[in-house]
Amino acid sequence: MVIEMEKRHYIGIGVAVACIIVIAAVAPRYISNEHTVTLRTTGATFPQYQIQKWIKVYEQKHPGVKIEYEGGGSGHGQEAFLQGLTHIGRSDPPVKEDMWNKFLSTGDQPLQFPEIVGAVVVAFNLPGINDLKLSSEVLVGIFMGNIEYWDNNSIKNLNPDVNLPHKKIIVIHRSDASGTTAIFTTYLSMISEEWAQKVGAGKTVNWPVDNVGRGLAGKGNPGVVAILKQTDGGICYTELSFAIEENLSVAAIQNKNGNFVNPNKESIQSAVSQVSSYIPSPVDGYKEDMKQLLNAPGNKSYPIVAFTHLLVWQNKDGKHYSAEEAEAIKDFLTWILTEGQKEENIAPGYVPLPKEVAQIGLDAIDMIES
Amino acid sequence: MSGYKTRRGKDISFIIGITILTFLGILPLFHIIATVFINGVPIIAKKGISFLTNTLSNGGIGPAIAGTFILIFLSSLIGLPVALLVGIYAYEYPESKIGRATKTLLQIMLEFPTILVGVFVMSMIAIPMGTYSAIAGAFALAIILMPYVAVYTQEAMREIPFTYREASFGLGLSRVKVIFQILVPLSKRGILTGVLIGLAKVAGETAPLLFTVGGLYESYPASITEPVGAIPLLIYTLVQSPSKADHMMAWGASLILLLIFLLIFIPIRLKLREVRL
Repeated sequence: MVIEMEKRHYIGIGVAVACIIVIAAVAPRYISNEHTVTLRTTGATFPQYQIQKWIKVYEQKHPGVKIEYEGGGSGHGQEAFLQGLTHIGRSDPPVKEDMWNKFLSTGDQPLQFPEIVGAVVVAFNLPGINDLKLSSEVLVGIFMGNIEYWDNNSIKNLNPDVNLPHKKIIVIHRSDASGTTAIFTTYLSMISEEWAQKVGAGKTVNWPVDNVGRGLAGKGNPGVVAILKQTDGGICYTELSFAIEENLSVAAIQNKNGNFVNPNKESIQSAVSQVSSYIPSPVDGYKEDMKQLLNAPGNKSYPIVAFTHLLVWQNKDGKHYSAEEAEAIKDFLTWILTEGQKEENIAPGYVPLPKEVAQIGLDAIDMIES
Repeated sequence: MSGYKTRRGKDISFIIGITILTFLGILPLFHIIATVFINGVPIIAKKGISFLTNTLSNGGIGPAIAGTFILIFLSSLIGLPVALLVGIYAYEYPESKIGRATKTLLQIMLEFPTILVGVFVMSMIAIPMGTYSAIAGAFALAIILMPYVAVYTQEAMREIPFTYREASFGLGLSRVKVIFQILVPLSKRGILTGVLIGLAKVAGETAPLLFTVGGLYESYPASITEPVGAIPLLIYTLVQSPSKADHMMAWGASLILLLIFLLIFIPIRLKLREVRL
């Protein structure tokens, strides 16, 4: 009798669970049975905030299209794009030639173009100090570990009006492999022979400051920013959007022409316009070189501009997208590069593309076959 | 008398020491629960029921909740039967070569980096299928789930006094009947604990889902061969954003995940106490 009771009990639980699952699985179909197209975009997390804003605004105007944002980083974005797991790949660094050839070996033409720009900024935590100028030598000196205290003469001479404290400089960097680190260290390698030889550039590097005990590491931009906020005398590199959202103090960096510039819409757009001729045609994406896009000339140009790219297929003979998907992709991407670049659709910390750069993407979209 | 006093003094200081250490040990747990509630309640209170039903760009995590339930159910369907049989086998034939190999393998699987499981399933299922899917995610989670359930099953059955086994065989029952009608019901408390720990683990896993389910937050899942979302994966995505609003959403989602976990765990755990040998 006891056993039977218990058996009945288990059957009851089983039936209840099964019912919940069936309802959960079936109900949504009836709730939303109008026809929708779901597009997926995968990869770089740098433009996350901006992409999610675009998705929100676009979906309100186009209820028949759903767009799924997926992160995973630039490397995953390229891989998922290659395998056909996603419709629109995202990558911060331009695709390298061997990956580009893998794309081509699918028999379809990949198209790469920038959709938005941001900047890598140098943020610091010195209570009471909001403005700071850093020359190329001083910037390298700090991250090299050669400059130990904030009231070092080289910093004082650049900022005579600032009351710099006698505090140790703590350099905060990323612990994980990061496109932000790649951009920043590439820039440091370009402005300093010493950095290029001793440290080099990459998604991860051996930070010289770690060896002298003045380095700290955080995971992701949120991790770095969290440490900076708790570290009096700290300095870090991060993305402009984080600096704005977290109200960080940001340094003015010396550009190629020798001027000190703050990262803002004007200085970033100036830099992008100066280097736009180096952005290759969408069908030759692998020819893009990050170095040509950094340290742009021009009096107002901010030197560490971060490009981020989208990857789509030309869709020869309908190889990757159905006609319906291709139409939706074309419409969404066209919207991104026109309406999406307007001030009201831009998320904090991102800068719209100059017209001539947006046109590179619009030309690519025209090539997509549906 | 002084000997008594020192002994008593030692006794009291030991108890105080143990109490403090115990408190320190469980403090992080309560701190986590408290933090999640403090940060999660405001956002849910603000959005109300729509937080549980709406899609992400409308300020809700409905599809993620549905995805998590689907994944828990599918991974149990795949993983539990296999895991139970493996556990029973390891108990019944502990000295055989396969039995010993199974035990070692289970220990290795327990410690296996979960991100590699995700990468493995991506190459075995997601890429050949040409799409992320709930099935792929469920397979990855089943691989995580199985060693827990199998190890707990084996341990639970080992705790049954040998006399029960002898008595059952003495009555002339066949081996199958002894195992499935006597020993398994007797050890169901331990087995269910293993199942619960496995399910709780699966409900909170992020890494195996990173490259397998894809994520689905703008519409509800309609098929298990298509991508789905999951609450922990959504939290992981949201906290990478610089946006404060996204962080709020992540806290709300964390609270929901915690509640799902507690709702599964506590009632069954309490009910299990009544079982006795």
